[in-house]
Amino acid sequence: MPGALAAVSDPALRAAFREWILRVADDELVIGHRHSEWTGFGPDLESDVAMSSIAQEEIGHARAFYEQIAADEGSDVDRLAFDRAPAEYRHAALLERPNGGWEFSILRLLLYEQFEAARLGLLAASGQEPVASLARTLVREERYHSLFARTWLERLARADAEGRARVQAALDSAWPDALGLFEATPADGVLRAAGILGEAPEAQRPAWEEAVRPVLQGCGLSIPAGPAREGGRRGLHGPEFEEMLAQMTEVWRSDPEARW
Amino acid sequence: MMPSEPGDPEQVAAFNARIAAGDQIEAGEWMPEEYRFEAVRLINMHANSEIMGALPEREWIPRAPTLARKMALTAKVQDEVGHGMLLYRVAETLGRSRDEMITELVEGRARFHNVFHYPAETWADVAIIQVFVDGAAMQTQGALRSCSYAPYSRVLKRICYEEDFHIQLGLDVWRALAEGTPRQRAMLQNALNRWWTPILHFFGMPDRVSPHTEKMLAWRLKVKSNEELRQQFLRRFVPIILEYGLEVPDPALRWVEEEQRYVYTEPDWEELKRVGRNGGPKSAERLALRQRFHQQHAWVREAVGRWAQGGPARAAVA
Amino acid sequence: MKDATAGAPPNGAGGRWARPLPAPADVWAVFLQARKRDPHVHVGDVHAPDSEMALVLAKENYARRDPCVSLWVVRAAEIYATTADAAGMFEPATDKSYRFGGSYRQQQRVYRGAWRLSHREEDQ
Repeated sequence: MPGALAAVSDPALRAAFREWILRVADDELVIGHRHSEWTGFGPDLESDVAMSSIAQEEIGHARAFYEQIAADEGSDVDRLAFDRAPAEYRHAALLERPNGGWEFSILRLLLYEQFEAARLGLLAASGQEPVASLARTLVREERYHSLFARTWLERLARADAEGRARVQAALDSAWPDALGLFEATPADGVLRAAGILGEAPEAQRPAWEEAVRPVLQGCGLSIPAGPAREGGRRGLHGPEFEEMLAQMTEVWRSDPEARW
Repeated sequence: MMPSEPGDPEQVAAFNARIAAGDQIEAGEWMPEEYRFEAVRLINMHANSEIMGALPEREWIPRAPTLARKMALTAKVQDEVGHGMLLYRVAETLGRSRDEMITELVEGRARFHNVFHYPAETWADVAIIQVFVDGAAMQTQGALRSCSYAPYSRVLKRICYEEDFHIQLGLDVWRALAEGTPRQRAMLQNALNRWWTPILHFFGMPDRVSPHTEKMLAWRLKVKSNEELRQQFLRRFVPIILEYGLEVPDPALRWVEEEQRYVYTEPDWEELKRVGRNGGPKSAERLALRQRFHQQHAWVREAVGRWAQGGPARAAVA
Repeated sequence: MKDATAGAPPNGAGGRWARPLPAPADVWAVFLQARKRDPHVHVGDVHAPDSEMALVLAKENYARRDPCVSLWVVRAAEIYATTADAAGMFEPATDKSYRFGGSYRQQQRVYRGAWRLSHREEDQ
């Protein structure tokens, strides 16, 4: 089955679209990997199970987007996922941050899901098949992720002063990286001009802020000021990502030709 | 601490008669204290083993060599955590609290199955654990589906259903390695060699004929003898090893047609006793890891508890 | 099955026939409806601080594989249940076969015969 790139013949446009889909897939893979690190160590058994499902689904979404590229390049999803240098990954810095406490993971999930739902909306409206249909299907699973995040966040932040202070600290630390989700790249302009993207990621930021602000403020949290921390979309990643990638590809690298 | 109060003899006799007639006991029904004690011990140990059993395999989730394997392994370990959830709930119906059982576990005061005290050194260990450890567990748990405590028997049905997925998944990983490169095959054989003794240990020492064993069998808190289960396991899983041309790590293992059983080299039972007392190669490290997260989440548990009480903050912001 | 209440008064008045299910306050019973045409069935419990969290957690703990269109949760301690002592009440003491369609086979055969006579081959 042809992937997302098959219908795009102009090389510059094709490269931009590839970059964009890769970015979506990388975001999902990296956050899915981080969430899967909670498996076995959640704060209670029920939430451990639920977070595991979320991890599986994010990785599943990554796989579906890698397929969109692999199908047209005669590659395979695992090569795309595992066989790149750190600087070739396009995820935002927020997603590679180590899990830290449960509150950080929950807060990151909330901020990311709001962003991801809007981005899937963009892809769904792109008019590019099969990626538009894929985006419409995946939104279904993201809804539960958001619900899980909100339900938890509210209980952590509103139960008592200690909880609120911890969640506030997590928010202060996550916020600049969360703004980095919207980092602008040249690819955005190319896709905008071709009518594939209805708007650039930066243009989605106000609506995102409008959506997350009442949730955070409703939990008694104050929104930090301060600039976005960017670079992830251009392949700038921290040492923590290098560590994560080394671990993630350890077995695969031991024999990339082998079937596992 | 054995229960002291033996119960009214007539009531005990009626209870025993019910079980002998094949009836099952429901949560909250009267039962002899000794039955409760044995049932809780069995189910609590099973629950502990599920959540400790998540640890060796979860080490390989971040390293799984394909995205498909990564998702499947996460789903598999997730099931084990889910089994722990189901089983602690059953133990609760017998009068213990989940918090108390988990605290006891992380403080090293409780026991869990011997196999989860060993390291998972390579990716091939994932295949061995899924096929052989889950396969071994399936023999015990499959038999216990007909046990006398109804809530346990109900969750075992679901657990066995999920264990079957684990074994099938494991066989798929196993096959990829067994049919793979010489290095992959060697990795698999190496893992099999390391796991052989712990897996034989898994079923326990051959039962001595003792009043305790008799009682457990009569109460159907034990359904088959340890040796019966071990033989059942060997019958089903030795052929898998041979089919792929791998070596059974026990050169003395052979099938004795007249007795319809495998003979094998007696494993070192002292090792099993030592491991069972949390003295295995990974016992301390895994318990410490579990305790670390348990402590890290202490404030979360408190916050959730306060929320459940409808704390002041909950009302204030709402 | 052996009657566990043997020795008790024949009407079972000796034991309690109903009781609340013993459960910690933070345990929620989960009921799952697999398809629209099915009833909600108790599939297990979750620990949760409130009903909303109970539903959120129930979804992945009980509906991640099996089909599900709707979930209910209720505090387990709110469930009132008949006891084992009352089990005898559910066993009929007299012949209740008159309540079942299967008891009327004779009539059914007559009906089928009559139907066959009055219908042609291609209608059947």
